Amino acid sequence: MSPEVVVQQALNGISFGALLFILAAGLSLIFGMMDVVNLAHGGFYMLGAYVALTVVQRTGQFWLALVIAPLVVGALGLLIEPLLLRRLRGRHLDQVLLTIGVSLVIGDLIGLVAGREIHSIPFPAGLDRSIAIMGGDYPLYRIFVIGFGVLLAAVFALVHRRSQAGALIRAGVDDAAMLSALGVDIDRLFAITFGVGAALAAIAGVIAAPVFGVFPGMDVDALIYSLIVVVVGGLGTLSGAIAGGALVGTADTFGKVLFPQFALALIFAIVAFVLLLRPTGLLGRVRIAR
Amino acid sequence: MTEGRVMIETRDLRREFGGVKALDGVSLTIAEGERRAIIGPNGAGKTTLFNILTGELEPTAGRVLLAGEDATRRSPHELARRGLARMYQRNELFEPLPARENVRLALAAAAGPYRPASPGPRDRAAAEVLLERVGLEGRGGVPARSLSHGERRQLELALALAQRPRVLLLDEPTAGMSPAETARITELIASFDRALTLVIVEHDMDVVFRLADRISVLHEGRVLVEGAPEAVRGDRTVNEVYLGKVVA
Amino acid sequence: MKRPAAIAALSILGAAALVTFPLWSSGWESSRYATTILRDMLVLAILALSLDLLVGSAGLPSLGHAAFFGAGAYAAAIAAQRLGSDDLLLGFAAAIVVSALLALVIGLFAVRAAGIFFLMLTLAFAQMVFALAFQAVDLTGGSNGLANVHRPMLFGLDFNGPEALFELVASVFVLVLLLLWRVRASTYGRALVGLRENERRMRALGYDTTRLKLSAFVLAGALAGVGGALSGWSLRFVSTNDVGIGRSIEAFVSVLIGGTGSLVGPAVGAVVVLFVERVLPSSIPFAETVLGVLFIVFVAAARQGIVGLARAAYARVRAP
Repeated sequence: MSPEVVVQQALNGISFGALLFILAAGLSLIFGMMDVVNLAHGGFYMLGAYVALTVVQRTGQFWLALVIAPLVVGALGLLIEPLLLRRLRGRHLDQVLLTIGVSLVIGDLIGLVAGREIHSIPFPAGLDRSIAIMGGDYPLYRIFVIGFGVLLAAVFALVHRRSQAGALIRAGVDDAAMLSALGVDIDRLFAITFGVGAALAAIAGVIAAPVFGVFPGMDVDALIYSLIVVVVGGLGTLSGAIAGGALVGTADTFGKVLFPQFALALIFAIVAFVLLLRPTGLLGRVRIAR
Repeated sequence: MTEGRVMIETRDLRREFGGVKALDGVSLTIAEGERRAIIGPNGAGKTTLFNILTGELEPTAGRVLLAGEDATRRSPHELARRGLARMYQRNELFEPLPARENVRLALAAAAGPYRPASPGPRDRAAAEVLLERVGLEGRGGVPARSLSHGERRQLELALALAQRPRVLLLDEPTAGMSPAETARITELIASFDRALTLVIVEHDMDVVFRLADRISVLHEGRVLVEGAPEAVRGDRTVNEVYLGKVVA
Repeated sequence: MKRPAAIAALSILGAAALVTFPLWSSGWESSRYATTILRDMLVLAILALSLDLLVGSAGLPSLGHAAFFGAGAYAAAIAAQRLGSDDLLLGFAAAIVVSALLALVIGLFAVRAAGIFFLMLTLAFAQMVFALAFQAVDLTGGSNGLANVHRPMLFGLDFNGPEALFELVASVFVLVLLLLWRVRASTYGRALVGLRENERRMRALGYDTTRLKLSAFVLAGALAGVGGALSGWSLRFVSTNDVGIGRSIEAFVSVLIGGTGSLVGPAVGAVVVLFVERVLPSSIPFAETVLGVLFIVFVAAARQGIVGLARAAYARVRAP
């Protein structure tokens, strides 16, 4: 590979990694707070992309879509937690199973309303060109994705360190029962957490749409990738989602260039290797929920 | 105390949890057939010691020998097969299964699970004998979770006995029991075959003095004093750090 | 007649009635259709029954069980194609060996995890098998799948006709049911339940729980592979759908709706699932939604499943 290609692919890898981080952040947040692996995460991601598609088709406004989609999907998450998950609190595995049902319903209804075609969303105005990097042209949108990922990570880190919400998250990660004893409204906290997690999935769906398109089955792809990211990086921690996203993103990108036939085998090898060395992921909390 | 070969030996056993020294160099020598009590205040490292002996926890440093052979960092199932059994402080039972089935699972462990047959009449009889041995006759059909606290401790003991162990670790056998239940289970343990080596962690000093041949006092991860019960009872340091609260 | 003897007699009768379904239903107008649907229900039931060995008995919630079903389907079809033989035993042997080996490899990693982590890992690994099947075009036909899968023969017996094939599928289903019944009653099956209820105690008793879990994973994988081989023969077609997450979820939903840990529950669930997916869609277009809602209701409100509910109702009727 020539140096330019290496740089290009490195940027692609980082860009994909940033997207994976955005995607996995919501999954990781919900797990960190509630000990629930939300298997409807891919469904929320897909719903976000389809809401964005509708908004863009109606108004042509990508940025409006990036606001509306997380609001809609976040509201759905805000409803699902009290309606469905709350009654199973403490039964973590059943809560996880329940999210499978939610994802089935979301996937099926989207297919019913929007059909089975592949749609695309154009790059937003201003980001639809390429810039010169190391003598090669590079799509500006991918740089934007990297920037967005960094921004999101920064916001997360800030909220986590500075605010009361951060203190609640840290406490929630350690012991929800203790929080409740301290007089924190657990019901509200969990509903908001689930809503924010769903909204994050939707944001990832919108951001990914111009690159990967909008199509049935995108929910499964997204779910699998986000699961791999959190398995590799470690569940429930921000740093785990970043590390997992970066590692899986670059490995996947370079894998596809270097040995296209075995890109997936490479990811498989990474997952297997990490699990052998650290069963809770690279930066995971040592706590295994049943 | 029966003089025999050494059954359990630990050499300078250490274990840290994030900088905190739970065990800070514990060396013990327990002979075959001996009944050794390990006492000490909460946080002295008693349960950590048990967890390392049974292989559920790895020591940071040091060695464990079982009947003269290395038993450090071995898996719990391997150590169980080498004759180590444990009565947990908090019962570890098969909650929805009947008491009888709990014991059968324990009895079947020796031969392993890879047998096509279902348990025959002999297995069933063996299970009933064990239930009777621990005072649970007639209660075999009751799910573990529906037994009283005292009965659950008895079942816990039956599971350990079913393994036909050489060494039995008893982690607070009388915890949470009424005086009558405590007396009953203490006499039950006292009636065990003298060839069985017992290591007992217990807070109830009457139980300790009734059962133990020797006592090791653990304090802040170290063996503070070790000796015959009378000697330990009279030891001034022990009275200060531990017994003082109980005896004085 | 004593109760066990009555149950045995009824079971044998039921099995005979099931296997001979095409014969005694031949007068019906829709016999052909019913035979096809019932055949596919039985194939899914075999997959669900094998999954329940993990989910119900051992407490291992695998969400990637289709990997072994698909591996069996591909293995039987490819072996027949490459070796130029339609021998039934060859097909089953290929399916069992390949799916068991795959289960061994995946299981080595997956059984180190518990609960939710086990679920995530099996899902992720199965999706990788899916991607491999998708990419290995030379072997699997990629996205086109393998069409024209030959139906098998055994000692000159030809299973090409729909009736003969149904009888094969139904017989294997009965055998699998019988096997799992034996397994559940055996020391091994009891040990799996012990594993589900208290792994720590099992280890302390001297059971090598990792090996126990791995063996269950391989056994369940091999049985799923048998189901896969039957699926390929039934549809004369094997595709990436057979290894996909959709099939895994179908099996999981069957287990949960029918009832975990009850011998016939998963088979009942499979009947319900295929009824919703294959019989209902002629009247409603959103079968998956119906399944999703059903699944949510059973997980949240009736975790014991249909068989569990039926048992409870029967007990209430019998009690004075």
